[in-house]
Amino acid sequence: MITVQLNGSEVQGRPGMTILELAQENGIDIPTLCYRSELNPIGACRICSVEVEGARTLVASCHTPIAPGMAIHTHSPKVLQARKSIVELLLASHPDACLVCDKANLCELRKLAADLGVGLPRFRIRKRYYPLEDVSPYIVRDLTKCILCQRCVRACREIKKQDVFAIAYRGFDSKVVVDQDQPLDKEVCRDCDVCISFCPVGALTKREEALVPKKGIPLIMKG
Amino acid sequence: MADKSLPQLLASYRERKHLLALLKEIQEVYGYLPGEFIPEIARSLGLPVAEVYGVGTFYSFLSARLQGRNVIRVCKSAPCWLKNCELIVETLKRELGIGPGETTRDGRFSLQLTNCIGACDQAPAMMINDTTYVDLTPEKIPEILGGYK
Repeated sequence: MITVQLNGSEVQGRPGMTILELAQENGIDIPTLCYRSELNPIGACRICSVEVEGARTLVASCHTPIAPGMAIHTHSPKVLQARKSIVELLLASHPDACLVCDKANLCELRKLAADLGVGLPRFRIRKRYYPLEDVSPYIVRDLTKCILCQRCVRACREIKKQDVFAIAYRGFDSKVVVDQDQPLDKEVCRDCDVCISFCPVGALTKREEALVPKKGIPLIMKG
Repeated sequence: MADKSLPQLLASYRERKHLLALLKEIQEVYGYLPGEFIPEIARSLGLPVAEVYGVGTFYSFLSARLQGRNVIRVCKSAPCWLKNCELIVETLKRELGIGPGETTRDGRFSLQLTNCIGACDQAPAMMINDTTYVDLTPEKIPEILGGYK
């Protein structure tokens, strides 16, 4: 067993465990976005960042294993400030179409923004607009809403072993592509909704989903 | 011009970890990365087409189109940007009559923007082919360009 300091109290964890798993076992809620317990963690979104005393930067708790003697702070002012900034940055390039978005109150980005109290971003607004891809009879892709968490890429690869998606281009131009940046129209997608169920925002939707009642817990708005 | 055909190149790179080296050699032999090669590369290395395309489009030293005889790569990363690399790009645009991503009509120069080339201490910097030029000012540009045919 490994003993670490978690928010000031001593807790025990198993070797190989990540900081996030340890926190979850101890009832501490660290927000996540690109992390899903079914997939390999990649630390892309940095929402789950925590402060480790002595570490040069904040570390992403989803893929950082615990080490003996670590002193971890999951909700220090520095951490909260970083999380807010990340959501602000994501929102700065995310369309403000929440009112008419089918993902509505199931959107994880919107939930995070509400939880962290992030409103209009301070940053210069810069959106990337892509044409809606509705060629496939099974999946509609709206990459304008994509936040590049790569959950669809990993779900397709790790769960369905299909490798339909990959990330292409660089920096602000990064995009989830199919083959050589062709619109998604694959027969292997016929009976598989895996990527849709993994999309945290409204970028991937089923074709017939419009006007179907949403399932899931309603979003509690603050204020 | 090509001294090695694609099957020969594919035969010398058999594993996933060789992808970048293979793409680099194709770029050297052909001068660019032809789109029709990508499915063959993917099949040969056992990778998804999307992933090969993703790697090919990530690196600014790999190009999807045939380049001019001399490739100018101006650094656009943060230190060069702070030292006003935009002025250098503007000067090059005026001198050559082309914008980033384009090639002059006579095929003499291609202009590209690139990510950091490791000359931050002497920013703004650019590369022409394999030569690095540092501490650039608009006045230096015509002389540098004059050295290339």
